[in-house]
Amino acid sequence: MTDLLNALVELQDIDVLLREVKDPEIASQEERMGFSLEHVENLEKARRKVAAQIDEKLLQTYERMSRRFARVVVPVEGIVCAGCRMSLPTASARRHSSAIVGIENCENCGRILYRR
Amino acid sequence: MASVVAPVAAPPAVELHLRSDLFISDLRTRKKASVLEEVAGALAAANVARTPEAILDALRRREALGSTGLGKGIAVPHARSTMVSERALLVARSTKGIEFDAVDGQPVHLCFLIVAPPLERDPIYLKLVAEIVRATRLARTRQKLIDAPNFAAVRAILVEAARD
Repeated sequence: MTDLLNALVELQDIDVLLREVKDPEIASQEERMGFSLEHVENLEKARRKVAAQIDEKLLQTYERMSRRFARVVVPVEGIVCAGCRMSLPTASARRHSSAIVGIENCENCGRILYRR
Repeated sequence: MASVVAPVAAPPAVELHLRSDLFISDLRTRKKASVLEEVAGALAAANVARTPEAILDALRRREALGSTGLGKGIAVPHARSTMVSERALLVARSTKGIEFDAVDGQPVHLCFLIVAPPLERDPIYLKLVAEIVRATRLARTRQKLIDAPNFAAVRAILVEAARD
Protein backbone atom coordinates (compact mmCIF):
# COMPACT_ATOMS: atom_id res chain seq x y z
CA MET A 1 0.00 0.00 0.00
CA THR A 2 1.21 3.51 -0.73
CA ASP A 3 1.91 6.04 2.04
CA LEU A 4 -1.05 8.06 0.81
CA LEU A 5 -3.41 5.12 1.04
CA ASN A 6 -2.03 4.28 4.50
CA ALA A 7 -2.74 7.85 5.61
CA LEU A 8 -6.31 7.64 4.27
CA VAL A 9 -6.87 4.36 6.12
CA GLU A 10 -5.54 5.92 9.32
CA LEU A 11 -7.78 8.95 8.85
CA GLN A 12 -10.80 6.73 8.35
CA ASP A 13 -9.97 4.69 11.48
CA ILE A 14 -9.69 7.90 13.51
CA ASP A 15 -13.03 9.08 12.12
CA VAL A 16 -14.69 5.76 13.03
CA LEU A 17 -13.46 6.16 16.63
CA LEU A 18 -14.46 9.85 16.75
CA ARG A 19 -17.98 8.97 15.59
CA GLU A 20 -18.22 6.34 18.33
CA VAL A 21 -16.99 8.72 21.01
CA LYS A 22 -19.42 11.41 19.89
CA ASP A 23 -22.38 9.03 19.57
CA PRO A 24 -24.26 9.49 22.88
CA GLU A 25 -25.59 5.92 22.87
CA ILE A 26 -22.22 4.26 22.21
CA ALA A 27 -20.33 6.60 24.55
CA SER A 28 -22.80 5.92 27.35
CA GLN A 29 -22.59 2.16 26.75
CA GLU A 30 -18.77 2.32 26.95
CA GLU A 31 -18.88 4.39 30.13
CA ARG A 32 -21.39 2.05 31.76
CA MET A 33 -18.96 -0.79 31.12
CA GLY A 34 -16.25 1.19 32.91
CA PHE A 35 -14.28 2.56 29.95
CA SER A 36 -13.02 6.10 29.99
CA LEU A 37 -13.34 8.29 26.89
CA GLU A 38 -12.06 11.49 28.41
CA HIS A 39 -9.16 12.45 26.14
CA VAL A 40 -10.98 13.16 22.87
CA GLU A 41 -8.51 15.99 22.26
CA ASN A 42 -5.76 13.38 21.71
CA LEU A 43 -7.81 11.88 18.92
CA GLU A 44 -8.57 15.23 17.32
CA LYS A 45 -4.86 16.11 17.45
CA ALA A 46 -3.98 12.80 15.77
CA ARG A 47 -6.57 13.50 13.07
CA ARG A 48 -5.08 16.91 12.26
CA LYS A 49 -1.61 15.34 12.02
CA VAL A 50 -2.74 12.59 9.64
CA ALA A 51 -4.91 14.94 7.54
CA ALA A 52 -1.85 17.18 7.01
CA GLN A 53 -0.10 14.27 5.24
CA ILE A 54 -2.83 13.98 2.60
CA ASP A 55 -3.00 15.89 -0.67
CA GLU A 56 -5.52 18.72 -0.22
CA LYS A 57 -7.70 17.76 -3.18
CA LEU A 58 -7.82 14.12 -2.11
CA LEU A 59 -8.64 15.16 1.45
CA GLN A 60 -11.54 17.27 0.21
CA THR A 61 -12.81 14.30 -1.81
CA TYR A 62 -12.50 12.06 1.26
CA GLU A 63 -14.35 14.60 3.46
CA ARG A 64 -17.13 14.98 0.89
CA MET A 65 -17.53 11.23 0.48
CA SER A 66 -17.44 10.61 4.23
CA ARG A 67 -20.64 12.66 4.54
CA ARG A 68 -22.27 10.12 2.24
CA PHE A 69 -20.61 6.87 3.28
CA ALA A 70 -19.62 5.55 6.72
CA ARG A 71 -16.61 3.91 5.03
CA VAL A 72 -14.87 5.75 2.22
CA VAL A 73 -11.81 3.47 2.01
CA VAL A 74 -12.88 -0.12 1.42
CA PRO A 75 -11.19 -3.38 0.43
CA VAL A 76 -11.60 -5.16 -2.86
CA GLU A 77 -13.07 -8.59 -2.14
CA GLY A 78 -12.23 -10.82 -5.06
CA ILE A 79 -13.33 -8.54 -7.91
CA VAL A 80 -16.01 -6.72 -5.93
CA CYS A 81 -15.98 -3.32 -4.21
CA ALA A 82 -16.77 -4.05 -0.52
CA GLY A 83 -18.65 -0.75 -0.33
CA CYS A 84 -21.27 -1.11 -3.08
CA ARG A 85 -20.76 -4.81 -3.98
CA MET A 86 -20.37 -4.03 -7.69
CA SER A 87 -17.85 -5.90 -9.84
CA LEU A 88 -14.74 -3.94 -10.72
CA PRO A 89 -13.20 -3.69 -14.16
CA THR A 90 -10.11 -5.66 -15.07
CA ALA A 91 -6.59 -4.52 -14.14
CA SER A 92 -6.01 -2.87 -17.53
CA ALA A 93 -9.28 -0.96 -17.38
CA ARG A 94 -8.67 0.37 -13.87
CA ARG A 95 -5.24 1.84 -14.63
CA HIS A 96 -6.64 5.34 -15.02
CA SER A 97 -9.52 5.13 -12.54
CA SER A 98 -8.11 7.95 -10.40
CA ALA A 99 -6.31 11.15 -11.24
CA ILE A 100 -4.01 10.59 -8.23
CA VAL A 101 -1.18 8.10 -8.54
CA GLY A 102 -1.62 5.10 -6.22
CA ILE A 103 -5.31 5.76 -5.60
CA GLU A 104 -7.97 3.60 -7.19
CA ASN A 105 -11.67 4.46 -7.05
CA CYS A 106 -14.69 2.26 -7.56
CA GLU A 107 -16.23 3.34 -10.85
CA ASN A 108 -19.73 2.72 -9.49
CA CYS A 109 -19.75 4.39 -6.04
CA GLY A 110 -16.47 6.32 -6.13
CA ARG A 111 -15.13 4.84 -2.88
CA ILE A 112 -11.36 4.56 -2.52
CA LEU A 113 -10.22 0.96 -2.91
CA TYR A 114 -7.38 -1.04 -1.42
CA ARG A 115 -6.35 -4.55 -2.26
CA ARG A 116 -5.60 -7.01 0.57
CA MET B 1 -52.45 -31.31 21.25
CA ALA B 2 -49.70 -29.12 19.93
CA SER B 3 -46.50 -29.32 21.93
CA VAL B 4 -44.96 -26.11 23.20
CA VAL B 5 -41.33 -25.75 22.22
CA ALA B 6 -39.27 -23.39 24.34
CA PRO B 7 -37.32 -20.87 22.24
CA VAL B 8 -33.63 -21.69 22.00
CA ALA B 9 -31.47 -18.88 23.35
CA ALA B 10 -28.86 -17.57 20.95
CA PRO B 11 -25.34 -18.55 21.99
CA PRO B 12 -23.29 -15.78 23.59
CA ALA B 13 -21.17 -13.81 21.12
CA VAL B 14 -18.16 -14.85 23.19
CA GLU B 15 -18.77 -18.50 22.35
CA LEU B 16 -18.82 -17.78 18.62
CA HIS B 17 -15.55 -15.82 18.72
CA LEU B 18 -13.23 -17.88 20.95
CA ARG B 19 -10.45 -19.45 18.88
CA SER B 20 -7.53 -21.57 20.00
CA ASP B 21 -5.17 -19.72 17.62
CA LEU B 22 -6.12 -16.48 19.37
CA PHE B 23 -5.15 -17.64 22.86
CA ILE B 24 -1.89 -16.67 24.54
CA SER B 25 -1.50 -18.70 27.72
CA ASP B 26 1.24 -16.51 29.21
CA LEU B 27 2.34 -13.26 27.60
CA ARG B 28 6.08 -12.78 27.14
CA THR B 29 5.98 -9.03 27.78
CA ARG B 30 4.84 -7.03 30.82
CA LYS B 31 4.59 -3.37 29.73
CA LYS B 32 1.41 -2.08 28.12
CA ALA B 33 3.14 -0.89 24.92
CA SER B 34 4.95 -4.17 24.33
CA VAL B 35 1.88 -6.25 25.23
CA LEU B 36 -0.14 -4.37 22.59
CA GLU B 37 2.65 -5.16 20.09
CA GLU B 38 2.60 -8.83 21.11
CA VAL B 39 -1.16 -9.21 20.72
CA ALA B 40 -1.23 -7.21 17.46
CA GLY B 41 1.44 -9.58 16.12
CA ALA B 42 -0.71 -12.57 17.08
CA LEU B 43 -3.72 -11.09 15.25
CA ALA B 44 -1.65 -10.51 12.12
CA ALA B 45 -0.22 -14.05 12.33
CA ALA B 46 -3.80 -15.36 12.41
CA ASN B 47 -4.63 -13.20 9.34
CA VAL B 48 -7.16 -11.13 11.29
CA ALA B 49 -5.18 -7.96 10.61
CA ARG B 50 -3.31 -7.12 7.44
CA THR B 51 -0.19 -6.09 9.39
CA PRO B 52 0.62 -5.80 13.13
CA GLU B 53 1.22 -2.05 12.67
CA ALA B 54 -2.26 -1.49 11.26
CA ILE B 55 -4.01 -2.86 14.33
CA LEU B 56 -1.40 -1.46 16.71
CA ASP B 57 -2.16 2.11 15.59
CA ALA B 58 -5.88 1.58 16.22
CA LEU B 59 -5.23 0.09 19.68
CA ARG B 60 -2.86 2.91 20.67
CA ARG B 61 -5.39 5.52 19.58
CA ARG B 62 -8.10 3.86 21.68
CA GLU B 63 -5.80 3.73 24.72
CA ALA B 64 -4.98 7.44 24.23
CA LEU B 65 -8.67 8.19 24.85
CA GLY B 66 -8.54 6.43 28.20
CA SER B 67 -7.08 3.16 29.45
CA THR B 68 -9.07 -0.01 28.80
CA GLY B 69 -7.58 -1.46 31.98
CA LEU B 70 -10.83 -1.84 33.92
CA GLY B 71 -9.28 -2.81 37.24
CA LYS B 72 -9.33 -6.08 39.21
CA GLY B 73 -6.69 -7.51 36.89
CA ILE B 74 -8.75 -7.16 33.69
CA ALA B 75 -8.08 -5.22 30.48
CA VAL B 76 -10.36 -5.16 27.45
CA PRO B 77 -8.57 -3.25 24.69
CA HIS B 78 -10.92 -2.89 21.74
CA ALA B 79 -10.80 -1.05 18.43
CA ARG B 80 -12.23 -1.07 14.94
CA SER B 81 -9.87 -0.74 12.02
CA THR B 82 -10.12 -0.75 8.24
CA MET B 83 -7.19 -3.16 8.17
CA VAL B 84 -9.05 -5.81 10.19
CA SER B 85 -10.70 -8.44 8.02
CA GLU B 86 -13.07 -9.98 10.56
CA ARG B 87 -14.36 -9.52 14.09
CA ALA B 88 -12.08 -11.33 16.53
CA LEU B 89 -11.48 -11.93 20.22
CA LEU B 90 -8.00 -12.71 21.52
CA VAL B 91 -7.57 -13.97 25.07
CA ALA B 92 -4.17 -13.47 26.72
CA ARG B 93 -3.03 -14.22 30.26
CA SER B 94 -0.06 -12.92 32.20
CA THR B 95 1.21 -14.80 35.23
CA LYS B 96 3.45 -11.95 36.34
CA GLY B 97 0.95 -9.22 35.52
CA ILE B 98 1.03 -6.36 33.01
CA GLU B 99 1.58 -2.71 33.88
CA PHE B 100 -1.46 -1.56 31.95
CA ASP B 101 -2.25 1.81 33.51
CA ALA B 102 -5.47 0.28 34.85
CA VAL B 103 -7.99 2.43 36.73
CA ASP B 104 -7.05 0.82 40.07
CA GLY B 105 -3.31 0.84 39.33
CA GLN B 106 -3.16 -2.94 39.75
CA PRO B 107 -1.38 -5.26 37.29
CA VAL B 108 -3.48 -6.94 34.62
CA HIS B 109 -3.54 -10.74 34.49
CA LEU B 110 -6.31 -11.25 31.94
CA CYS B 111 -6.38 -9.34 28.68
CA PHE B 112 -9.27 -9.66 26.22
CA LEU B 113 -8.55 -7.96 22.92
CA ILE B 114 -11.51 -7.32 20.65
CA VAL B 115 -11.15 -6.00 17.10
CA ALA B 116 -13.54 -5.55 14.20
CA PRO B 117 -13.70 -3.94 10.79
CA PRO B 118 -15.60 -0.61 10.72
CA LEU B 119 -18.81 -1.91 9.18
CA GLU B 120 -21.76 0.46 8.99
CA ARG B 121 -23.90 -1.85 11.11
CA ASP B 122 -22.23 -4.18 13.58
CA PRO B 123 -24.25 -4.63 16.77
CA ILE B 124 -22.10 -7.62 17.76
CA TYR B 125 -18.86 -5.67 18.34
CA LEU B 126 -19.98 -3.81 21.47
CA LYS B 127 -22.11 -6.77 22.54
CA LEU B 128 -18.93 -8.85 22.61
CA VAL B 129 -17.13 -6.21 24.70
CA ALA B 130 -20.11 -6.08 27.10
CA GLU B 131 -20.26 -9.88 27.41
CA ILE B 132 -16.57 -10.05 28.33
CA VAL B 133 -16.94 -7.30 30.93
CA ARG B 134 -19.99 -9.03 32.42
CA ALA B 135 -18.48 -12.53 32.30
CA THR B 136 -15.40 -11.46 34.27
CA ARG B 137 -17.15 -9.43 36.99
CA LEU B 138 -16.86 -12.15 39.63
CA ALA B 139 -13.54 -12.74 41.43
CA ARG B 140 -14.03 -16.50 41.34
CA THR B 141 -14.47 -16.50 37.54
CA ARG B 142 -11.33 -14.41 37.10
CA GLN B 143 -9.36 -16.80 39.32
CA LYS B 144 -10.67 -19.82 37.41
CA LEU B 145 -9.57 -18.22 34.14
CA ILE B 146 -6.10 -17.57 35.54
CA ASP B 147 -5.80 -21.14 36.86
CA ALA B 148 -7.27 -22.88 33.79
CA PRO B 149 -4.76 -25.38 32.35
CA ASN B 150 -5.48 -24.79 28.67
CA PHE B 151 -7.61 -23.05 26.04
CA ALA B 152 -10.43 -25.61 26.25
CA ALA B 153 -10.83 -24.90 29.97
CA VAL B 154 -10.67 -21.12 29.47
CA ARG B 155 -13.31 -21.43 26.76
CA ALA B 156 -15.64 -23.50 28.96
CA ILE B 157 -15.32 -21.03 31.88
CA LEU B 158 -15.95 -17.96 29.70
CA VAL B 159 -18.92 -19.48 27.89
CA GLU B 160 -20.54 -20.54 31.16
CA ALA B 161 -19.96 -17.11 32.69
CA ALA B 162 -21.33 -15.37 29.57
CA ARG B 163 -24.52 -17.47 29.76
CA ASP B 164 -25.17 -16.55 33.40
